[in-house]
Amino acid sequence: MLGPELINEARVECRAEIVSKKRLIETLAGLLAGEHPRLQTETVFERLLERERLGSTGLGHGIALPHARVKEVTEVLGAFVQTAKGVDYDAADGEPVDLAFALLVPEAANEEHLHLLAHLASLFSDPRVRAKLREAESAVEILKALNTP
Amino acid sequence: MDLTNQIILIGSLVLFVSVLASVVTSRLGAPLLLVFLVIGMLLGEDGPGGIAFGDIQLAHLLGSLALAIILFDGGLATPYKDFRVGLKPALGLATLGVAVTAAVTGLFAVWWLELRWLEGLLLGAIVGSTDAAAVFSLLRSRGLELKQRVGATLEIESGSNDPMAVFLTIALIELLLVDQANPGLILLMEFFRQMGLGMLIGIGGGFALVWLINRLEMSPGLHPLAIMAGGLSLFGITAALDGSGFLAIYLVGLVIGNRPLHSRLEIKRFHDGIARLAQIGMFLMLGLLVTPSALLPVAPDALLFAGVLILIARPLAVGLCLLPFRFPWREQLFLAWVGLRGAVPIILALFPLLAGLDQAPMIFNIVFFVVLVSLLIQGWTVTSFARLLDLEIPPTTHRVQRVELDIPGQQELELVGYRLAENAPVIQDRRAEPRLPKGARLVAVLRDKHLLETSAPLDPRANDYVYLLADPRDLAELDRLFVARPDERLSERAFFGEFVLNGDARLADLCAFYGLDTSGVEPDLTLDARIRRDLNAHPVVGDRLRLGAMELVVREVEDDRIRKVGLKLTKTRRS
Repeated sequence: MLGPELINEARVECRAEIVSKKRLIETLAGLLAGEHPRLQTETVFERLLERERLGSTGLGHGIALPHARVKEVTEVLGAFVQTAKGVDYDAADGEPVDLAFALLVPEAANEEHLHLLAHLASLFSDPRVRAKLREAESAVEILKALNTP
Repeated sequence: MDLTNQIILIGSLVLFVSVLASVVTSRLGAPLLLVFLVIGMLLGEDGPGGIAFGDIQLAHLLGSLALAIILFDGGLATPYKDFRVGLKPALGLATLGVAVTAAVTGLFAVWWLELRWLEGLLLGAIVGSTDAAAVFSLLRSRGLELKQRVGATLEIESGSNDPMAVFLTIALIELLLVDQANPGLILLMEFFRQMGLGMLIGIGGGFALVWLINRLEMSPGLHPLAIMAGGLSLFGITAALDGSGFLAIYLVGLVIGNRPLHSRLEIKRFHDGIARLAQIGMFLMLGLLVTPSALLPVAPDALLFAGVLILIARPLAVGLCLLPFRFPWREQLFLAWVGLRGAVPIILALFPLLAGLDQAPMIFNIVFFVVLVSLLIQGWTVTSFARLLDLEIPPTTHRVQRVELDIPGQQELELVGYRLAENAPVIQDRRAEPRLPKGARLVAVLRDKHLLETSAPLDPRANDYVYLLADPRDLAELDRLFVARPDERLSERAFFGEFVLNGDARLADLCAFYGLDTSGVEPDLTLDARIRRDLNAHPVVGDRLRLGAMELVVREVEDDRIRKVGLKLTKTRRS
C-alpha cells in the first residue's frame, strides 16, 4: 500500500542509536533529503520542527508521525526510523518514542496529505503492526511490516 | 409480636426483591426508579399484594426524610470543580426555570382542566422540579460519561430546584387557604426568607459540622452517622425556622463533600448506600400509596399535561434560562429533554392532600401519572439520546480497584490495582522498561497467586495483578498503560483525533501549516482563545471546532484555559 516512491529501503533506518527528539528528527530529515536533488537536511529539519511547536506529533504507544508540507517536492516522501531505545518525545501519553515515520508532502496536495496522515495514524494504532515494527531487524522487514494489510 | 415479624419479613423481602430486580432491569435499560414504583403498585391495593396503605401523614414524613437524605448525598457527591461550569446556568434553571415551567404548565391546567388560577399554578409548581439522580444512575450504570458542562448543569440543577419547587408549592397552598390581599408580595418575601435561611444555615452549618467532626475522636464507624445526624438536624432547624430545609441540607452536603474530612471515604460510601435505600424505599412507598385504578380516569388529561410539560414548558424554560450562556444547541436540546420528573413531584402532591384542598386527590393522581410518563419516556431514551447528540466523552477511568488512602494532612494518594489482560498496552507494546508517571510507585505484582519477590523493574505479563501507589491526577495515564480499550468507537483516537496540539499554539501557524485559508485570522490568536471565543462559555473536554476538513477537539482544560487540543484530520462522524 505504501509504494516504493513513498518509502523504500534507502529511507529506513533500523536500530538507530538515538537519544533525543532533536536527533531523531534530524535523522529523519537526513533520510528524507538523502538523494533528493532540491531538498536539504536543514530545511526539512526546520519544517518538521515547526510542526512540533504546535504540539508533539507523538501518537502515543511509542509512535511518532512528524510531517510537513514543502514546496521542493512534487511527490509524497516518507522515511522511517526505529530506534534502539525509546527517546523522550513529549508525546501525549508520556511514553518514549522508538518508532517514527516522517512524511513530506507537496504544497498543493491537501486532502491527499490529510488522508495519508490519517491512514498512517490508523495503521500505527494497530498493536500487531507496532509489535512487528519493533521485532523487525532490517529495513526490509520494516517495509514488510509497514505494508501488512 | 406476630405482626412485627410479619412486617419485618414482608418489608425485607420487598426490599430484597427490589434490589435484585435492579440487576435485571439495568440490563434492559429501564429506569430503575420506575421499577420500584411499579413493584410498589403491584404490592398495593389494586395489585396482587393487596396492601392498603393510605396514611398521607406517614407518607409525607418518610418521603421528606428520604428526600432530605437523597439531597444530602447529592451535595456530598458533587465536586466543587463542577461548579465552575455548571453553577450559573443551573441556578438560572433552578429558580427562573422552575417558575417558567410552573407558569406554563399551570396556565395550561387552568385552561384545560378548568382549575382556579392558584390551583392551576399549584399543579404547575408541583411538577416543576427535575430528578437528575435518576438520570445519573441510569447513565453511570451504562458506563456513559457526559460532557462536563451538561453533566454538571443537570446535577446542580436537580439538587437546587427541589427547594424552589417545595417553596412554590407551600406558598401557593398558603395563599389558597388564606385569602391574601397581595399574593405577589407575600410570595417574594417568603422566597427570600426561605432561601436566605436555607443558604445561611446550610453553608454555616456545613462548615461548623466539618470543624466539629474533625476535632472529635471517635471510632471511624461513627463518623458517617454523626455527619448524617448533623445534616438532618440542620434540615430540621432550618425547617422549624420556616426556612428551606431542603436547600440547607443540600448545601451542608456540598460543603462537607468538598472539605478535608476525617474518614471521608467511609462517609461517602455510607451515604451512597443510605441514599439508595431512601430512593428505593420512597418509590416503593409512593407506589403503594397510589390507587392505580384511580389513575385511569385522569389518564387522558394527565397525558396531555405531561405532553405540555415535556414538549413545551421544559424546552421553553431551558431555552430562556440558557439564553445568556449560549450553550451549543445539542447540549440545550439534551438539557431540554432530560427534565426527568421523579419522586419530588409525588411528595409535593401530598402537601395539598395534607392541607385538605378540594382538588387535592385529582392533583395527586395527575402528578403521579405525569411522573410515570416522564420516567417511562424520558428515562428510557436518555442514554440513546446522549449518544445521538454526541455528548458522550471517553471515560477517563477503568481501574479495577481503587483505595483512597486517608492520610491526614498529607498529599492525596490512592492505591490502585489492575489485572492485566492479554491486550493491555503495557504488555502489547513491551519495550525495555515501561515508564510510570512521576507520581506513581509500583507497590506489588502478583503472579499465579504469589507476590513477586522484586516488583521493580516492572516486567508485566498477562494475568498479573499490579498494584501502584499514585497521585489521583496520574490515574488517567496509568489507565492508558494498563487497561486495554476494546471499544474503538470511543477510543481516544476516534474521539480526539490523531494528534495533540498545544492550546497556546497559534491558529495562524496551524492554518499555514496545513494549507488552510489564513485570511481573516489574527496572527496572535491562540487555539485556546479561538475555541473559547466561539463557545462563549467555560470550555469543557469534548467541545469542538471545525477547521476546513479538520476538526479541533478540546482535550484538556485547566483553570478555564484549554491546554491540549486534539486534531482530527478527517472529519468523519463517529458511529
